[in-house]
Amino acid sequence: MAPVKVTFTINGITTEALEGSFLLASLKANKIDVPTLCHHKDLVPNGTCRLCVVEVTDRGKTKTVTSCNFPVKEGMVVSTEAPSVVRNRKVLAEMYLGRWPNVPAVKEVAKKVGVTGSRFSSDLTDENPKACILCGRCVRACETFIQEKIIDFAGRGIKRHMGMPFGEVDPHCVGCTSCAYVCPTGAIEVIDDMNHPVDPLLIRNHGMRVNAEMANLDPSQCRMREVGTANIVEVMDAYDLLPVCNYKFGSHKDTPKIDSKVLKEQYFTQGHADQCWHGCSMACAKAVDGYILKTGPYQGDAVCVDGPEYETSAGGSNMGCFDPDFIVEFNFYCDTYGLDTISSATTIAFVMECFEAGIIDTTITGGKVLNFGATDEALELLHEMARGEGFGVDVGQGIRFLKEKWARELGADAAFLHDIGMEAKGLEYSEYVSKESLAQQAGYTMAVKGPQHDEAWLIFMDMVNNQIPSFEDKAEALYYFPLFRTWFGLMGLCKIVWNDVSPADNKKHPPQEAAKIPEHVHNYWKFFEGMTGIPLDEKKMLDQSARVHNLQKLMTLMLGYGTRQSDVPPYRAMGPVTEEEYLSRQERYDGQLTANLGLDPASMDLPAKMSALRTFRYEQYDKVLDAAYKRRGWTREGVPTLERLTELGIDLPELVEIAKKYQ
Amino acid sequence: MVVVNDRDHVAWHEGMTVHQVLKAMGYSYVLITVSVNGKHVPREEYETFAVPDGADFKAFHLAHGG
Ligand code: SF4
Ligand code: SF4
Ligand code: FES
Repeated sequence: MAPVKVTFTINGITTEALEGSFLLASLKANKIDVPTLCHHKDLVPNGTCRLCVVEVTDRGKTKTVTSCNFPVKEGMVVSTEAPSVVRNRKVLAEMYLGRWPNVPAVKEVAKKVGVTGSRFSSDLTDENPKACILCGRCVRACETFIQEKIIDFAGRGIKRHMGMPFGEVDPHCVGCTSCAYVCPTGAIEVIDDMNHPVDPLLIRNHGMRVNAEMANLDPSQCRMREVGTANIVEVMDAYDLLPVCNYKFGSHKDTPKIDSKVLKEQYFTQGHADQCWHGCSMACAKAVDGYILKTGPYQGDAVCVDGPEYETSAGGSNMGCFDPDFIVEFNFYCDTYGLDTISSATTIAFVMECFEAGIIDTTITGGKVLNFGATDEALELLHEMARGEGFGVDVGQGIRFLKEKWARELGADAAFLHDIGMEAKGLEYSEYVSKESLAQQAGYTMAVKGPQHDEAWLIFMDMVNNQIPSFEDKAEALYYFPLFRTWFGLMGLCKIVWNDVSPADNKKHPPQEAAKIPEHVHNYWKFFEGMTGIPLDEKKMLDQSARVHNLQKLMTLMLGYGTRQSDVPPYRAMGPVTEEEYLSRQERYDGQLTANLGLDPASMDLPAKMSALRTFRYEQYDKVLDAAYKRRGWTREGVPTLERLTELGIDLPELVEIAKKYQ
Repeated sequence: MVVVNDRDHVAWHEGMTVHQVLKAMGYSYVLITVSVNGKHVPREEYETFAVPDGADFKAFHLAHGG
C-alpha cells in the first residue's frame, strides 16, 4: 500500500507529510524550532514535558496539543506562535527552572523561550546540575530497547522519583546504558570499570546506535528479537538454499512445519537478552521451556532448550526431518552431550543418503532403518554417538572417517562417497546450499578451519544479486569478508550486530560498499578505538587480521590440510551429483548449458548433460581459486608467498621454513 | 522483457510494477533495495511504480544471517 500524504499549514506555510507521522517532525522539516525536553529521536514520544505545545485548528475546533506526539491531519492549521501557546511554554519553562535551576538542558529551554529567572523556587528546588527532571525518557528507553521496565517512576506527587524496584540494583538490567544515553541531564551515571576502556563514552555512543537500530528497525528487518536466527528458515527455503536430504535440494514442501512461525508460536518461551554480549539489546537468543523429552537418558524430564537457531532447524531439513519436536530434542541432546549440532546433523544426513543408496544396511547400522526423515532412529544414533556404542562409534568420528572406512571395508564407490560427503579438511559443512554460488563454494571450502561460513557468506552477493560477476570481483569478496570476519572474531565482537540489522540509509552506498554495511564496520572500529586508544581504518583492520589469518593458514599446512587440494569442495557443494538432483532443477541446469557452454540440451542424454555441467563447474571453481589465491598473496598451491609474510611482518624463521616447503 | 540483476529475464507486460517483478523472480526477502534504470525505488512505491519495457532492474539483497 502506498502511504498517504496529507497537506496542512504551519504558521501560514503549506506543507505535506505522511499520514500518521508526528507534527514535530514537520516543524523540524520546516526549520521551525519549538522547545522539547522529553522528546528523543529514537523513542516513541509520549508528551510528558508539554514544552512542545502548539495550537491546532482542525475542522473548526482549536486546541493546544503537544506536537511531538500529535499525528498530522489533512487540512489542519497549525500555529506555533499563538499567544496562548507562547504563554504556556513560558510558564512551563519557568516552573522547570524554579525546580531545577542548574540543569543545563532546562536552562537552555528557558533561554529559548525568553525566561531568565523563576518565581517558582521552593523547598523542592534542587540545585544539582545533574538532577533528574522526571522526563521519563529512561523509562521509555528501557521499554523500547530492552522491552523491560527495569527503571521506572516511583512515588506520587512531589515524591515522584526515578529508580529501580525497591531502590536496589535489578539483576535483570543488562547494562545496555540506553537509559543513560537518552537522559538529558546526566542523572544516570554509568560507571565503566569493566576492562578499563580508554574511552568508554566512545564505545557507549556507538553501542547506542546499534541499540537504536535494534529498537526501531529490527521489527521490520530480520526480527532477531522476535524469533532470532530462525527467521531465515523460510527465507532460505524460498531461495532454494535450505539444505534438504544431505544438500540434494534447496527447498521442501514441509518447511512451514519447522519455520520461524512455528517455533515462535509453539515453542519459544524465552527471548530476553541473555548477556552473551554485555549490554546487547538484540536478545537474539531464544529458548524453549518445559519441553518434555521423549528419548535418551532424560526421557520424561521437562527441560529448557537453548534454541533452536537457524542451523538447528536447517540440520533437521538436511536429515529430511520436518518435525519441530525432533529438532528441539536433537538440539537439547547435542548441547547436553557437547556435540556440535551442525556436524552431527550433516554427518547423519550423509549416513542417511548412504543408507538409501544401499552403501550401508541394517547390518551396519545396528538394525536402525536410517532413511531420510527417520527421526527416532536419528535420535537413537545421536545417543549411541554420545555413549560411544554400536554404530555411533563410527558415525561420531565424522564424514571423512566414514568415507574412508566404507570405501576400504565395504568396497563402496569412493568417488561417489567423496561427491556426497559434505566435508572439507575433515570438518562438516554448515547448513546452506552453495551449488549456485561459486563465491560461496570457495568461501566455504577455502575457510582455513574447514567449511563453516564464519569466514564468508556470499550467496546473496553472488547468486542472487550478481554483483560480483567476474573472478576478480569474487576474489575481492573472498579477500575482504574472510579478513573482516576473522578480525571481529579476534576482537571478541559479535557478528550479529554487523549485519543482522542494518542502518535505514545503508542503501545510499553503491552495492559493493553496501554489502559491507560501512556504518557498522565503523562502529566496530570505534569499539576498538574506545577500548585501546588506537584508531583504525580499513587497511589497518585488514592487515591486523591478515597476520592472524596467514598464521592460521600456515598452521593448517602443519596439520596437512593447507594446500589447494584441501580447498576443493565435494561436488555436492558445487552441483547435482545424482540424476534425481539434476532432474529436480532440470530447467535451471539445461538453461546454464545453453547460456554458458552454447550446448543444445535437447540433443544430449542426461549423463552427457551432467558431465558437461560438472566439467564446466570445476573449471570455474579452479579460476576462482586462482584469483582468490592471487588476491590474498598466496601461491597457486594456496600457500602464503614469502613476500606476503614479509609484508605482514610475520616472516619469522620458523614460519618461513614451513611456507618455503610449498613455494 | 525486464533484465534483473544483469542476468535474469522477466517477461514484461503493460503496467508492470516493481512488486510484480519481485514476485515473478520469487524475491520475498525483507532487505531488498530496488533500482529501475539506475533510479532507487522506495518500498512504498513497489505497488505503484511502473517498470518500463527493457528496464535495467536491480534487486540488491543485503545479506543477513550467515
Ligand atoms: S541499562 Fe538498559 S536494561 Fe538497565 S535500566 Fe537502563 S535501559 Fe534498562
Ligand atoms: S533519569 Fe534522566 S531520563 Fe530518566 S526521568 Fe530523570 S532526567 Fe529523564
Ligand atoms: S517534547 Fe513534546 S511533550 Fe515533551
